[in-house]
Amino acid sequence: MMKSLSIVAEGPGRYIHWGVIQISVANLVIIVAMIILFVLALIVPFPSGHDEETDQERRQK
Amino acid sequence: MTRDRTPDSHDFPTRRYDLVKEFVITLVVVLVASLGLAAIFSSPDEKPITMSAWANADPNNLVTTAASELAGTTTSATYGAPYNSNSEGQKLGPIPLQKWGGVRIPIDSADLVLGPLSNTTNDPAVSSAVAAWKAAAPEQQTKWAADYVDAIGAAAADGEAATGAGGDPANVAAGDYGPVPALSAGLLALAKTGGLEGALDSAGNFYGGDTTKSLLLLADGAYLEDQAVAQNLAGDQWGMMNEVGNAPGQPWMWLYTFWYQIKPFSTSDNADVEVWALMMLLTLLLMFLPFIPGLRTIPRWIPVHRLIWRNYYRRSAGRP
Amino acid sequence: MTTSTGAKSAAETTDPGNWTNRLRGRIEGLVPPGEALPDRQPIYVASWIYVFGVLTLSSLAVVILSGCVLAVGGVQWWHVSSLGHYVNSVHLWSVELFFGFMVIHLWGKFWMAAWRGKRAMTWVSGVLLFGISIGTSFTGFLSQTNFSAQWIAGEGKDGINSTGAGAFFNVLNPGQMLLWHVVLLPLVVVLIVLIHIIQVRRHGVVPPLDADLEG
Ligand code: HEM
Repeated sequence: MMKSLSIVAEGPGRYIHWGVIQISVANLVIIVAMIILFVLALIVPFPSGHDEETDQERRQK
Repeated sequence: MTRDRTPDSHDFPTRRYDLVKEFVITLVVVLVASLGLAAIFSSPDEKPITMSAWANADPNNLVTTAASELAGTTTSATYGAPYNSNSEGQKLGPIPLQKWGGVRIPIDSADLVLGPLSNTTNDPAVSSAVAAWKAAAPEQQTKWAADYVDAIGAAAADGEAATGAGGDPANVAAGDYGPVPALSAGLLALAKTGGLEGALDSAGNFYGGDTTKSLLLLADGAYLEDQAVAQNLAGDQWGMMNEVGNAPGQPWMWLYTFWYQIKPFSTSDNADVEVWALMMLLTLLLMFLPFIPGLRTIPRWIPVHRLIWRNYYRRSAGRP
Repeated sequence: MTTSTGAKSAAETTDPGNWTNRLRGRIEGLVPPGEALPDRQPIYVASWIYVFGVLTLSSLAVVILSGCVLAVGGVQWWHVSSLGHYVNSVHLWSVELFFGFMVIHLWGKFWMAAWRGKRAMTWVSGVLLFGISIGTSFTGFLSQTNFSAQWIAGEGKDGINSTGAGAFFNVLNPGQMLLWHVVLLPLVVVLIVLIHIIQVRRHGVVPPLDADLEG
């Protein structure tokens, strides 16, 4: 069962060549995913993050 | 940023936050992601190369490698520390770091051939070849082996014409090679039986487990490297980052790997120690970045933090 | 009698010559009271980027857990068992997640200049974790007992040997590499993670750049 699903482990590796740079598609996908995740972490609003006033601020007013 | 004016975090207003819940949720997320990625993408597991696989796939190369071990011309024979004193090893400028480590894993390259064959008692031709080798003077031994290696030669490659017998021991010109052809052929025969790894690694101690000798012999030949190059694993192919097939390798090694691709490292005899030293230096720079003027101010110049703390800045800007 | 015992123990708890008291004082002083596991955070802690430290920690837990399952079966189990191979895949992918999250965590802390306000040692222990984690994964690749391990050993030895360290750390010896991978290096990683997190809780989350409580 596991064998039929192992699309990564089998077959020849796919590589991208770009001047001096040579990288496997798998590694490239991981690096791109990391960058996307990082950017998302910066721009996606954190739940309950904004506009919710803190108890302390309420007390101070 | 001359003086650190960062206020105490405990003096700020607070809001409810559940650290334990956060940890438990991330744990479940990572667990599910790992189980899922493993089910979809599996992991590579290519069988190790055996000596018999090498012997069957490229017998000529194994014979040549054996003769070269006897001649003392292989990579491991001329390595220097920690295996022997036959070279100075790599240097960082004038500093012989490799030599300073000392010869703490002594390997006599001729022993990679003679060791396994000395324990073979069922082949009289091999036994008498070992005896003839041991009886000869060192200069004679080296001459036999070097002459035999030259006589075998190499096949034409990369625009260079073939030498000697074109890499085929069967076509070697007649000459005085002493017991070297018999020893090399004996090692090939032993490798084909599947017994060579054991003879190298566990002879005399029962427990194998230290594969230093087998790996050195295997790496002295061409078979291992040919397989690796075909899989994009060689050092000049950014191989350190890569895995066999389409599996992800070690993408975090990108910088370490990168230096090997460019000059001066790609053409240096001391590339390994130079790249190591450079990476250590860069790691120290990263580690002590909080104390390095200029570098530590980059986050102010490129204000990504305005995005991260946008709610806080908006809120405090609105305050009277 | 009860009173005198009580008085005596009160004196004991403050006796500065008592090693146990001193150790307790040390431990209690690591993190300000109530700050080890607080149920509140400063208002500026409101970004997904803060989750990546915890994600790194969770991945480390999955890495160790899957590694322990592999250890139950032994070194070569995963070559012959489809369950073993699956557990190995979980181990590999949790490692990829661990490194991915750790590096995003590093990026985040860099752009927040999170070393400000006496937090430099938190950054230093973080970089140390990054380096030692790379070493741990390297010894893991060497412990696979397959073709990749053979090749990585053959190549890796030149790097290590060139520094002189190869005389003591023999990458061609999978027994030594396995023990480093499953005992020594994980111990060091877990220890430094503990220190790292105590450092974080001790100082609290770093305030925003230019945050000024007075103004
Ligand atoms: C095994 C790897 C690591 C683990 C498990 C880990 C875990 C954590 C956790 C749970 C936090 C608190 C939550 C957060 O702010 O994200 C934290 C904070 C921090 N980490 Fe890490 N970390 C690791 C590696 C690193 C690395 C590689 C760096 C940077 C070089 C780093 C630098 C920091 C800093 C500076 C803080 C303090 C942030 C603040 O005070 O606001 N850590 N870490």
